Amino acid sequence: MEQPVELASEIKIGPVIDPGLSLAAVSDKISSIVLKRKTTLGWMVGVFIGFILLQGLLTGLTWLLMKGVGVWGLNIPVGWGFAIINFVWWIGIGHAGTLISAILLLLNQSWRNAINRFAEAMTIFAVMCAGIFPIFHTGRPWLAYWLFPYPNTMSMWPQFRSPLLWDVFAVSTYFTISAVFWFIGLVPDFATLRDSAKHRWQAVIYGFLSLGWRGSARHWQRYEKASLLLAGLATPLVVSVHTVVSFDFAVSIVPGWHTTIFPPYFVAGAIYSGFAMVLTLMIPVRSIYSLEGVITMRHINNMAKVTLATGLIVGYGYTMEAFFGWYSANKYEQFMIWNRMTGPYAPFYWALIFCNIITPQFLWSKKIRTNLMAIWIISLIVNVGMWLERFVIVVTSLHRDFLPSSWSMYWPTIWDWAMYIGTIGLFTVLIFLFIRALPMITIFELRMLLPGAKVKEPVAQ
Amino acid sequence: MSGHALEEVSPVYGLMAEFETAGQLVAAARKTREAGYKKFDAYSPLPLHELDEAMDLHDNRVGWFTLCGGLTGCTVGFSLCSWVSALAYPLNIGGRQLISIPMFIPVTFECTILFAGLTCAFSMILLNGLPSPYHPVFNWDRFVTASKSKFFLCIEAKDKKYDPEETKAFLAGLGAEEIAEVAQ
Amino acid sequence: MSDTTHTLAPQMTLAPQLTERLKRYQSIAAFVGLIGLALSAFGYFSGEQQQFLRSYLIGFMLWTGAGLGCLTLTMIQHLTGGNWGIMIRKITEAGSKTLYVMMFLFIPILLGVHTLYEWADPAKVAVDPILKEKSLYLNVPFFYARWAIYTVLWLGLVTFLTRWSQKEDETKDPKWTAKMEFLSGPGILAFVLTLTLASVDWMMSLDPHWFSTIYGFMMGVGNLLTAMACVISALVVLGHYSPLDHLITKKHLHDLGKLMFAFVMLWAYLNFSQLLIIWSGNLPEEIPWYINRLNGGWQWVGLFLLCFHFAFPFFLLLSQGIKKNGTTLRMAAIWIIFVRFVDVVFLVEPSFTKGVFAIHWLDIAAPVGLGGVWVSLFLWNLPKRPILPIGHPDLQKALNHGRDH
Repeated sequence: MEQPVELASEIKIGPVIDPGLSLAAVSDKISSIVLKRKTTLGWMVGVFIGFILLQGLLTGLTWLLMKGVGVWGLNIPVGWGFAIINFVWWIGIGHAGTLISAILLLLNQSWRNAINRFAEAMTIFAVMCAGIFPIFHTGRPWLAYWLFPYPNTMSMWPQFRSPLLWDVFAVSTYFTISAVFWFIGLVPDFATLRDSAKHRWQAVIYGFLSLGWRGSARHWQRYEKASLLLAGLATPLVVSVHTVVSFDFAVSIVPGWHTTIFPPYFVAGAIYSGFAMVLTLMIPVRSIYSLEGVITMRHINNMAKVTLATGLIVGYGYTMEAFFGWYSANKYEQFMIWNRMTGPYAPFYWALIFCNIITPQFLWSKKIRTNLMAIWIISLIVNVGMWLERFVIVVTSLHRDFLPSSWSMYWPTIWDWAMYIGTIGLFTVLIFLFIRALPMITIFELRMLLPGAKVKEPVAQ
Repeated sequence: MSGHALEEVSPVYGLMAEFETAGQLVAAARKTREAGYKKFDAYSPLPLHELDEAMDLHDNRVGWFTLCGGLTGCTVGFSLCSWVSALAYPLNIGGRQLISIPMFIPVTFECTILFAGLTCAFSMILLNGLPSPYHPVFNWDRFVTASKSKFFLCIEAKDKKYDPEETKAFLAGLGAEEIAEVAQ
Repeated sequence: MSDTTHTLAPQMTLAPQLTERLKRYQSIAAFVGLIGLALSAFGYFSGEQQQFLRSYLIGFMLWTGAGLGCLTLTMIQHLTGGNWGIMIRKITEAGSKTLYVMMFLFIPILLGVHTLYEWADPAKVAVDPILKEKSLYLNVPFFYARWAIYTVLWLGLVTFLTRWSQKEDETKDPKWTAKMEFLSGPGILAFVLTLTLASVDWMMSLDPHWFSTIYGFMMGVGNLLTAMACVISALVVLGHYSPLDHLITKKHLHDLGKLMFAFVMLWAYLNFSQLLIIWSGNLPEEIPWYINRLNGGWQWVGLFLLCFHFAFPFFLLLSQGIKKNGTTLRMAAIWIIFVRFVDVVFLVEPSFTKGVFAIHWLDIAAPVGLGGVWVSLFLWNLPKRPILPIGHPDLQKALNHGRDH
């Protein structure tokens, strides 16, 4: 399962890596971003913007802790507002990282080698941003450890038949395994940084992190086995995480939530938004750090194709919701879908259709798929669209439920926005710190793509 | 250990050779094994699957540990759900059985993955003898390139077949660019 | 190691022993098929009209599903490329060509629609407000029209894809490869949507009150699994003879085995999701579907599917050794075809027996009969074209897969 068919008549996409690079050149190119290069103005500006946005999160959280969840726009019947929307949005974004690092590893897709580290970092940071919301949504975040099963003096235990508890297990397992997978992947690169360090303190820090890795063949053999096994475990894990997130909705009986297509449709949506986010971040980073030889047009093209494919699955999901909403002949189901399309939140629904269904259709064209600006704009629109999707799912199903007497509208308050934008700031800061402190591209896997890594044993004399 | 015993330990860890290409290293490793050396290791900046075959490496213990971890996690997860829901804190939820198997699958699954993944990572690190901040191979100043671009082979002095002169000649015959004795 | 690289044999003619073996299998399959169909016809005329129809539907869904799965695999191959797909493309094309006959084998069900489907019985619709509302979609003329639309669309896809594939063989012009790639994108979109509607029409509407949005995915993955199992079974036999005996590598088998493994897991995932959601919701319009299937003996069939449609093939295909060995992989594939049959029975029969386990001899006879027809059509199509896409620009790369290290 290698590269897609490339035909002479088509626009040339180019190889996965610039074949002119040598082993030493690749090592230097990536490690020097961390070790030698001066902190650039662009980096400073980026961190600064992120830091400013981050203050929104800190302020929002402080106010929330002082006043309680009433500062959010929640009401009855809309008890799940921004907190859940943003939680699902962030978790979904994280999924592309695992997909790129694990599933594409199992499929022998060598093009993943240049982008997996970055995507995995994105996963971890996105899960961190996601985790903030449900913890604070509980109202008493200082008691968040009550979510875990442990013997206690109250003789109380969590409810294992609730999907919210499944979420606790799924998200914490996901974070742990992603972090372990990420660290294991970094170990050989820490060794490279240790051996390239210009200052003693760098050598000590990276040496400590490298665990004393020395590239022994006996170690590599176990290392490769463990990487494959971890990839094999992470693949069903990533599917299970968004499946459990979808169960949060589907296991209930609320029209618009209780629908069997949710698990595969949420997983596809997660990958869709995740790939869009990878494109949003990768395209500028690639040109700022002149990584065109390593993150080639082939990567961009392949990621655009995955975005299109998952976008179509999401579109299929919307179609099924609408068709079965009618076919069910259940008046609540029919009302729910009608209310989505024509009710007070209809502009959100149609904006979502525009962002998630219409926009990615441009990716059918190879001209668009090789135009960085166009892809970047499309990826931004998809990010917005996937956020709108969660908004529509959460709000339109709740705000007009079974009893018209309890109908109500939901509008977020400034504190909702502060926290949402604040997590974007947190994410930005973490990404910039990562770019500065760690090799953003897996150096040892990049070496494997080079002609210098091909084993040609000398002919015996 | 007494000072007397220390003197008997050879101050030399082994002989190391540096190679320019991955192919040379694989060929050298194969010949070293065929020549009857047992205590030797190859060092490369990237995993070379050809080396596994050339050096006859097939340690599958990580896989077995992972399997055991996964089975433990599966058992722990399901038992936890069942014990809590049926014995420790029984609640009637919509008239469903206390042990509602379909609803326990997600937690059981997550525990399986968590235990298997952690066992996998830690068993790999520990079986590799890591973390090991000090190792004799780092004593050769050229070895810093082993994590970047060059390929190394080290035959340990502890090997029965090891002989300072003969082994050096043997390594030279393999096409090594540089050969050096590294200190213990 | 370029010395072990094989350059493509100029001709893809099959070894005479192989042609003979395929002919023999084909006649056996045709014979079995005729006996099965004759027995089914006997069942029909001995007064078991409704039982005949539902048994016939089981056979039709299973084997048309194999053909539809082959068509899906062909289109997926055109879209994603990949060595696995190039190696099996001619086999999936041969499988998809069975649809030329299979689609018309639906006619008995079209004729018996009033006996088989509750919603086609005006007396029942008159007293059921839900069926009355659904009759906008679930009515006999529209049901006929939809079958005609599916037939035209699917056979159109088969025709273009196989015709262009033949052109590609003859001219070796990548223009045809590009054309097939171009058609497969919108083709698979239209296909998935129509397949979903078809599964609503033919299967879901057996319980006309029930609905499940994941159903189309479930049917599609079931079809892919059946098709993959058929393709692997055929490929292993072809691999014993020239020219494929020196062209198929362990790596090819391994890749196909992995794909079958993925479909097994996907099948289990989709089924579990549906079960958990409907079981937790416990809504009166949904849960009867499971009540009929998890009571009165059918729960043991469900358990059998869990153990032998999921767990057993899962652990079997987890092993690399089994996936790389043609004989064991083929045994796993044949087993999967059998459990696919059990799965389709489980989807159809409990809707009629209403919570009481009952299997009729026609449930065996009709699927075996249609299976015989399908296999003989498949084996008849198979040797008519080169066994590999000899005009494909990436064929050489696909053949070398698994030889360079």
